[in-house]
Amino acid sequence: MVAAGLKPVADMAPTAIAIDGVTKRFGGLTALENVTADIRDREFVSILGPSGCGKSTLLRILAGLVGCEEGGIDIFGGRVNGPRDDVGVVFQTANLLPWLNIEANLRLGLEIRRGKAVARATEIAPMVETLGLKGFEQHFPHQLSGGMRHRVAIGQTLLCDPRVLLMDEPFGALDALTRDRLNMELLRIWQRDAKTVVLITHSIAEAVLLSDRVLVMSERPGRVIRDVTIDLPRPRDPSKTRESAAFGEYVVELSRLMGVG
Amino acid sequence: MTGPIRQAAEALLFCIALIILWEGGVRLFEVKPYLLPSLSAIAAETWRAKEQLWHHSLVTLGEVALGFAFATVLGVALAALIFFVPLAKRTLYPFVVALQSIPKIGLAPIIVVWCGYGLASKVTMAFLFAFFPIVITTLGGLASTPAHLEEHFRALGAKPWASFWRLRVPSALPSFVDGAKVAMPLAVIGAIVGEFVGSNDGLGNLILIATGSSQTALSFSALLVVTGLSLVLFYLIEALGRLVWWRQG
Repeated sequence: MVAAGLKPVADMAPTAIAIDGVTKRFGGLTALENVTADIRDREFVSILGPSGCGKSTLLRILAGLVGCEEGGIDIFGGRVNGPRDDVGVVFQTANLLPWLNIEANLRLGLEIRRGKAVARATEIAPMVETLGLKGFEQHFPHQLSGGMRHRVAIGQTLLCDPRVLLMDEPFGALDALTRDRLNMELLRIWQRDAKTVVLITHSIAEAVLLSDRVLVMSERPGRVIRDVTIDLPRPRDPSKTRESAAFGEYVVELSRLMGVG
Repeated sequence: MTGPIRQAAEALLFCIALIILWEGGVRLFEVKPYLLPSLSAIAAETWRAKEQLWHHSLVTLGEVALGFAFATVLGVALAALIFFVPLAKRTLYPFVVALQSIPKIGLAPIIVVWCGYGLASKVTMAFLFAFFPIVITTLGGLASTPAHLEEHFRALGAKPWASFWRLRVPSALPSFVDGAKVAMPLAVIGAIVGEFVGSNDGLGNLILIATGSSQTALSFSALLVVTGLSLVLFYLIEALGRLVWWRQG
């Protein structure tokens, strides 16, 4: 457990994810070139980069969904060669099954990973409460707003209680207000459950607001061009944190690195 | 008047107008009954021959039901085989597409030669008519599983069996239901064609016999009953299909 207000990640925390010289090619096209980074246990790291820089590809490699031509990934010391049970992925699209109600969708991840018995025995009420889905358990995905569907998708992944949470622009399609709310929910869950989070985003403000560290990627072929530690106090808050001078400085610095400042 | 009620009323009025036109036209121009009987004569004939019509309906219904059932079971099985076994896709699939182009009506005499005048030849014809739409739509349904859901299942570490039952089958169901809706009236056509070519029984046989002996009103009665049978079966599938209410966006 991390106490509120403390800097959550000690520099000596063990490495959770070691990205070691990953190069990925699609035919003659190099998507990722020699990407190297270490992500520590319980760290919240954002990967920031322009569209098409290969950040989603990097996430798929981290998730064990695709391989790479050179280099490799170690998660908790084990080489990634396929999807792992201690890694949860939240994709850009809310991947819900249209024929299952919200409760069944929430339990689906557990059911596939640990079987029907565990899924049935798991208490989902607290998660439903946390994600503000109370009263919608028996609804179907098409009856929910986009923001709620994303919350269900996140809830499904969180219920599996993965040590590592990989998120590929999970809030990209949402309006600013919903996005802020989900960002804060995500931070709260991350601090409470002590997870390692890797968030792919192209929003500089979102990366600064949430992360301990931001890895900035170049345009294709994607490389990590800068590793910026975000030294802002926690817990963070969308309005207060954004008003601080330090927040503005980080945003300016990262904008310059991405060539938009 | 509200929209749907008004629409129904308009359709009903049009229907009544058609009935008056038919009945009045036949009486006014004194059309010979063996060419075109009046509607009232057809109605009277239907009532008179109700037991005969019932008997032949049951025969045809049995042929259609069996043919459709075989088409569904074998069609889904073949679609799954083609979808999951690459060798089957390379060898069987082009074969199925080619077979689909054969005019099934042309096969009827050969089927009668092979299967005889009894139930088997009619079931085979109903099967042949219904089979291909089910194979093609089921195949399309299996292939229509959204890629992002497949990836999600892979990320969850789903076993192939779980992916099949939890994802592919429900994804394919709406398309399969569409295929079944097309196939059901086709199965009725298949059975009637089979009866035309060689039979002792069934509504198709009755149409043939009645027309041949200038009992045109009876022929119309049988046609009416076939149409009703086909409609009832179609709406049965439609009602069952309502259970599969989801559609991929």
